[in-house]
Amino acid sequence: MDKQKPEYLRPALIAGAIAGVLSGLPFVSAGNCLCCLWIVGGAAIATKLLAKNTSKILTSGDGALVGALTGIVAAVVDTIVKIPLQPYNMALARRIIDKVSEFGTEMPAGLDGLLEGGSGILSPGWLLLGLFISAAVFAVMGVLGGIIGVSLFAKKKPQASPPAATPPLPGPGDAA
Amino acid sequence: MSRPGISRTVLAIYLLTVAGTAIWLSAIFLAPVLTARGSAGAARFIYAAFSPICHQVPGRCFTFHGQPLAVCGRCLGIYTGFAAGLVLYPFVRGFSKLELPSARFFMLLTLPMAIDGAAGVLGVWESPIRVRFVTGVVWGTVLPFFFLTGLADLFLAKRRKVARTLEKIRVNNIE
Repeated sequence: MDKQKPEYLRPALIAGAIAGVLSGLPFVSAGNCLCCLWIVGGAAIATKLLAKNTSKILTSGDGALVGALTGIVAAVVDTIVKIPLQPYNMALARRIIDKVSEFGTEMPAGLDGLLEGGSGILSPGWLLLGLFISAAVFAVMGVLGGIIGVSLFAKKKPQASPPAATPPLPGPGDAA
Repeated sequence: MSRPGISRTVLAIYLLTVAGTAIWLSAIFLAPVLTARGSAGAARFIYAAFSPICHQVPGRCFTFHGQPLAVCGRCLGIYTGFAAGLVLYPFVRGFSKLELPSARFFMLLTLPMAIDGAAGVLGVWESPIRVRFVTGVVWGTVLPFFFLTGLADLFLAKRRKVARTLEKIRVNNIE
């Protein structure tokens, strides 16, 4: 069997880019609200791509590694996608909060300030901080998705065939 | 798969994960406490840190000190389930073997949350926050069994690689 080292970066880049775009787009990004669906799913898909491109039987460690890389790539792509959409996202969030407030639901204090100071979020410092937090969280979620991907998609080790039945030892009567 | 010398690595990763989970859960409860005490800036930072992974719609969040938690009921359920899974891990799996749960078992535990989530998105029903929490707990409980196995396997593989490299260097030096 070919024991070549799996190529982690390519599947991570492909799946991470897709997961990052989905996480960055308005409305579609809501998928992440369901247990980080895009990131966990993206990492699982990266494992599927990895399994497809290697003849090696993947271990859960391979899944963890490709998943973490996918999460980091997704965080970078997500940040890049969100930059031009930031004003639109702020306006959308403002509308949702106004709508929710109409029903008398209490909002977290400071949320208004966050939205009012929305332009500050576009500053390089905030962007880097956001990228760092997203990368850390997405990497952890990606690790999880990658390992789940191994369980779902990786080739399974062939079952060891049962040992051949040993012939019974000759009994005392056999010698006769 | 059971390998000698595995226990210490798994135990170390287990303890680190327990610490990380405790910090994660504490932060979720700290945000509303800080808000209630008037530390809006620090609270805002925590809410913002959790915003990429949760919608944080107040109506779908449990409240603490009269303020919504940093994540919704379902997410809190997942993290609580993860913590519960960590408690169960030593009794179910122990520290001396690495084995992923079966895909079928994972699918089975995912099903309640997937059905509830899909029905909510499609507008079939709007489940109460407690149902969201419970389905999250069910799913979250199995996650440490993946997480710990994968990370331990990764670290053991790296350690073996380093040991092989050092051995090669040692042999080269002797020659």
